[in-house]
Amino acid sequence: MIALHLRLRPSTRRLAVAAGAIALAAVVIAPLSSTDAAQQAGLPLLTDRLWFRIATTVAMFVALASAWNVIGGLAGYASFGNIAFFGLGAYTTGALVSNLRWAFAPALLAAPLVSALFAAVIGLPLLRLRGHYFAVATLGVGVAVGEVVNNLGPLGGATGLFLPILRSDLLFFYLMLGTAALAVAATWVILRSRFGFGLLAIRENEEAAAVIGVNTIFYKVSAFVIAAALTGLAGGVFAQWNSFINQENVFAVSDNVEMILMAVLGGAGTVLGPVAGAVVLELTIETLAGGGSAAVYSQIGLGVLLTVCVIFIPRGVIDFFGGQSRLSLGYLRRTLRETSA
Amino acid sequence: MSATPAAAMPEGEPLLEVRRLDAGFLLIPVLFQVDLDIWPGELVALIGANGAGKSTLLGALTGLVRVTAGQVVFNGRPVTGLRPEQTVAAGLVHVPQGRRLFGTMTVERNLLLGAYRRRDPRIREDLERILAYFPTLQDKLHRDAGTLSGGEQQMVAIGRGLMGRPRLLMIDEPSLGLAPKVVDRVMEVVRAINHDGTAVLLVEQDVVLALEAADRGYVLENGHVVMSGRAGELRHDPAIRKAYLGV
Repeated sequence: MIALHLRLRPSTRRLAVAAGAIALAAVVIAPLSSTDAAQQAGLPLLTDRLWFRIATTVAMFVALASAWNVIGGLAGYASFGNIAFFGLGAYTTGALVSNLRWAFAPALLAAPLVSALFAAVIGLPLLRLRGHYFAVATLGVGVAVGEVVNNLGPLGGATGLFLPILRSDLLFFYLMLGTAALAVAATWVILRSRFGFGLLAIRENEEAAAVIGVNTIFYKVSAFVIAAALTGLAGGVFAQWNSFINQENVFAVSDNVEMILMAVLGGAGTVLGPVAGAVVLELTIETLAGGGSAAVYSQIGLGVLLTVCVIFIPRGVIDFFGGQSRLSLGYLRRTLRETSA
Repeated sequence: MSATPAAAMPEGEPLLEVRRLDAGFLLIPVLFQVDLDIWPGELVALIGANGAGKSTLLGALTGLVRVTAGQVVFNGRPVTGLRPEQTVAAGLVHVPQGRRLFGTMTVERNLLLGAYRRRDPRIREDLERILAYFPTLQDKLHRDAGTLSGGEQQMVAIGRGLMGRPRLLMIDEPSLGLAPKVVDRVMEVVRAINHDGTAVLLVEQDVVLALEAADRGYVLENGHVVMSGRAGELRHDPAIRKAYLGV
């Protein structure tokens, strides 16, 4: 038996946690070196504009993947409609700021409310469907909402909606980071609550969940609403950050697929899985965005990697690095057997 | 009709009273005017052919299936049309057909989830007490429930039901797909649970098995209760012997 023993020893593990904490602190604090006060004090500039753009995008996808994880990973309902919540949040903030001249702060707070309300309304009928049917129905909702918005004159129609430019890389980085932190914290709290156990029971076997006394309908809709609120908040931040929104940049189904990939590759149903998935995948995508023949080969490589991951470690990267199992041929064989039909 | 029901009824207040119950699915009525009573501590068998409505009746009692008419009183309280989380909290617990375990969770987690509605501190204590019925599960507590044998899975399903502290445990087809020897073992446990004071409603297609274990029985046919009485009398009833035993 060949076993690679990738599972870390306790001492190594403590070191890894410390290194992770330092890296996270650096990411959170580094942007501050760009403020005028820091510059006058003579601190070296640790960041530049490109860094801000990438870091903000990564934070956004951490938020989106973690939010998706609440309905897709914990409750087991693979939603392809989360992009509708993102777009609705973006257009809520966008329309309030651009059409009604609201200040950004209240307009941003309205975004999660509208998305959550929409999720509550469509959740009741949609969450009666399961598996592929739910996936296809939510996909339809995502596309339909995008089309409706695209054809509404007051929302800019096909042209899109322009928001007055608010120039502050720092503000948007911290807003996205805050949204991501909120999504991760929400997952952590849910996983430790009675509500979280109920969601996991629903994911494992919905009839059994009902039999032990889980209010399945209420729980599913609640998970959907929480995911929608977090996703809508990210959408609201994006609208003002990008200062231009249209159907293509806030209702892209490919973004929905991306958040699912991130959550699933990292480890759906875990707290840190979607974070790891989002950071790694988004950084890879940003790196590959350059172009050239190397980028083409790298993209093929990414596709192959995704396929291999889905086949051999369908429970996600977190499962064998942090979980009970260790990466070995036995682990790969077992997961392959357990997850193939 | 056999065994005048009145003669078969025990004394005192029934634990479960089902009166003229109609239930079913949208546009598909399944149960018609069902009357059924269970007294505390009884083991009652509900028998009938495939599709007679046995599982639907359990579903209607726990709130998984819509009740369209009639009423259900449990432990002195009307529970007609309540949702499952409410009936479970009231002590009406359903062990569904086909076990329905949380397959990739451990046996222990499955059992503990049976206590989902409870908020008392005695849950761990109950786990120990319940494991006494199923000694073979003791050293499999940390295995995934889905990896157990059919008989063991049935034990986990019953154990999970018991963790909800039921006053009435309703077990749907526990013998399904099990070897005869394993079925005997499961039925022994069911009788032991009943002997220790929990009323049991046992749904079975295996009529002999059910009527040997039960105090009383009800026969369901096409959604109607067509016969009821003491289990011993039903077992020797010519109509039942002809319809279900092929003699």
